[in-house]
Amino acid sequence: MSSAVDPGIDALIAGELYARPQADKERELLAVLRPLCLRVAQGCPEWARFLERAGSDVAGWTRLDDIPALPVSMFKEFELRAVPREEIQRELNSSATTGDRPSRIFVDRTTANLQTRALAAVLKERLGARRRPYLVLDCAESAAAGDVLSARGAAIRGLASFARETSYALKRSPAGDGDLELDHAALESFFAEHAGAPVLLFGFTFMVWTRVLLKLRGAGLRFDASQGVLLHSGGWKKLQEQAVDRATFARAAHETLALLPAQVVDFYGMVEQVGTVFLDCEVGHKHAPAFADVLIRRPGTLARCDAGEVGLIEVISVLPHSYPGQAIMTEDQGELLGVDDCPCGRRGTHFRFTKRVERVAVRGCGDTFAQMRGAR
Amino acid sequence: MSDAVIIRAEGRVPLTSLAEHIGALRANARALAQRPVAGILDTLDAYGKALVESPETQRLDGVAFLSAWLRRGNLEKALALAIGELARLDGFTPSGQAFLAAKPRGLVAMWMAANVATLPVFSLVPALLTKNAVLMKVGGDSDGMQALLRVLAQQPGTPSGAELCACMLVAAFDHRDRELTRQMSSAADAKVAWGGAEAVAEIRALPQAPHCVNIAFGPKYSLGVISRDRLAAADLGGTVRAFVRDIAAFDQRACSAPHTIFVERSSEVSLQDVGKAFAAELATLPAKTALDAYTTVQILNTRARWSLDPRRDLFASTGSADWTVCLDEELALKEAVQSRTIFLTAVDSLEQVVPLIHPSIQTIGIAFADVERARRFADLACAAGAVRCVRPGLMNAHESPWDGRMLAADLVRWVTLKP
Repeated sequence: MSSAVDPGIDALIAGELYARPQADKERELLAVLRPLCLRVAQGCPEWARFLERAGSDVAGWTRLDDIPALPVSMFKEFELRAVPREEIQRELNSSATTGDRPSRIFVDRTTANLQTRALAAVLKERLGARRRPYLVLDCAESAAAGDVLSARGAAIRGLASFARETSYALKRSPAGDGDLELDHAALESFFAEHAGAPVLLFGFTFMVWTRVLLKLRGAGLRFDASQGVLLHSGGWKKLQEQAVDRATFARAAHETLALLPAQVVDFYGMVEQVGTVFLDCEVGHKHAPAFADVLIRRPGTLARCDAGEVGLIEVISVLPHSYPGQAIMTEDQGELLGVDDCPCGRRGTHFRFTKRVERVAVRGCGDTFAQMRGAR
Repeated sequence: MSDAVIIRAEGRVPLTSLAEHIGALRANARALAQRPVAGILDTLDAYGKALVESPETQRLDGVAFLSAWLRRGNLEKALALAIGELARLDGFTPSGQAFLAAKPRGLVAMWMAANVATLPVFSLVPALLTKNAVLMKVGGDSDGMQALLRVLAQQPGTPSGAELCACMLVAAFDHRDRELTRQMSSAADAKVAWGGAEAVAEIRALPQAPHCVNIAFGPKYSLGVISRDRLAAADLGGTVRAFVRDIAAFDQRACSAPHTIFVERSSEVSLQDVGKAFAAELATLPAKTALDAYTTVQILNTRARWSLDPRRDLFASTGSADWTVCLDEELALKEAVQSRTIFLTAVDSLEQVVPLIHPSIQTIGIAFADVERARRFADLACAAGAVRCVRPGLMNAHESPWDGRMLAADLVRWVTLKP
């Protein structure tokens, strides 16, 4: 299979990311997705079968809705690859809960290159072109090089291309239990050099909260990242359980790192579509860049939601070339905030993540889920 | 906790404590105990007729069947099976050299699953026929429950529907409300729990009186079988139609709804043909009006799992999560997805299914042309743990015994007199 990239994809990444009206954007995406999906289907018989059994004629797709979305959990159950194994440059793994299998994402050189360029383009639009001192709110081992990379590692390394230099704020606990703790020396050293400079901070939301913000506050420490940006992603469920909302999180970031709320930027993304990130804008709405889109679908009918409605989040991206990740149905819910009308001026779909899809509380006496699971 | 309410025929009232209502409930049930059971049967018979006539209740899911179930003849038969001589519910009757009577247990606390709108009535009726007081926690559509109570309260008779209503308190509150839950359990002479494994275990573990009995209708799985000779029969369409009725009822959330149907291989009719027949029949159902996100995700995951695997196949509604027919040859019970999702599995012989059956299997829809073979299969299946083997179309038809027990029999204390 050829790994050549459609010039249309290059143009989407290199051009204005949020300038197109939604209708134009969908037309442009479809124009590159049709041939891309056909090529991926040729290399991935499972995906070809999936399309065929959905009764889907790729040539006949006229709207993004027409693309059958692959449920995200299928990457845990099937080895979905569209290129020969020897062309795989790296395997990305999602974090897996106990007893659960991780997602396995097979990335070839073409896809890796697109992911890097796309991520850089999105960050550039939001942060400017200048490379920054980069403080990873995680430990160095999380991003260690290798053929297999975790979701955390992929995100940390993805942002590194935007860094002038990289430091890590956490280290493994000497107790050897795998837990992480603040690396005070590393923090002191980073801010001794870059206090008040336009730094880039990044970490996973729950880890930033528990291992950095709370620890700094508890120790009465404060560093000056007032000209920087804190990017964070994932993990809101655990924070919601602890009654920590965005405002509380931002307040703690202000107290400990001198960041204003607008400098604390949450983004939505997943290991199944590395490089495709949906960043908060200045008013806190998440936006889809030109090379990707988000569809919020009603449960049951799967019709697209109207503004103000909450539904299942489907993510579309033209970056994956070595696996069938072009249209993925997530297990997340989001609210469609509008189309082409965000107060920040960016066009296209804007939305907010609301929560993970949770098991319904009462499924009744016919619900043998626990028993069937227990029997395995 | 907020929003705890008592659901009465005349409306909802806030609920702060159950303890203050228990004395009145017990007194009203003692008055009911003075009424002959024949009167209760008459009132319930009238109630059944009224349910299908009342605009408030006639559209509730399953109400037509409930109405038929409430017929005097049906309840009398079920009660006779559970108690024997009905007169024993009214007082002592001779039994050899002694006398026997079936006395109410007292106060029955019932925790209802939210999956079937009419389930509370199926649970209430045996308690009323055995002259118990009832404290019931409902989990689902309280509007539907209120309508069901309102129609009951309107029935004349001796006892009247209002008298029956006075013997029960129906409440809706958060299952995490420990105080109300504790009050319910502590007051009970018998506890009846319908629901999933976790809910049933939690209710069983609550503090209770030493004499209190626990009756659990826990999670069950139901399935179907279609024999080779039935596939060849002229009325295969009728069999499929009947199974689809079982699949559609209560959105497949009842413990009696089929999830996997085993199809015996036939040289005349392929699994694909059977799948197409199910798909065609499911496609005639009205579209679902609403579906939760969790079940939608389960349906989409199942469809993808069956699409990506070359050993499997499927038929599904286009563009929505309305219905799904999954085909395979794996001899296993598939995880219940619910909401019009059916797994058709080809087997060489239906007898191969028997080792899959265990005590958590409730109903088996059996489609055999040969009645003798059906009886033999049912013998084996029930010995392995199943409790009902019924024709397709009857799987959700509530009856006594249910889950292998007769609720009315569990709700009486047998007392003896040797004067």
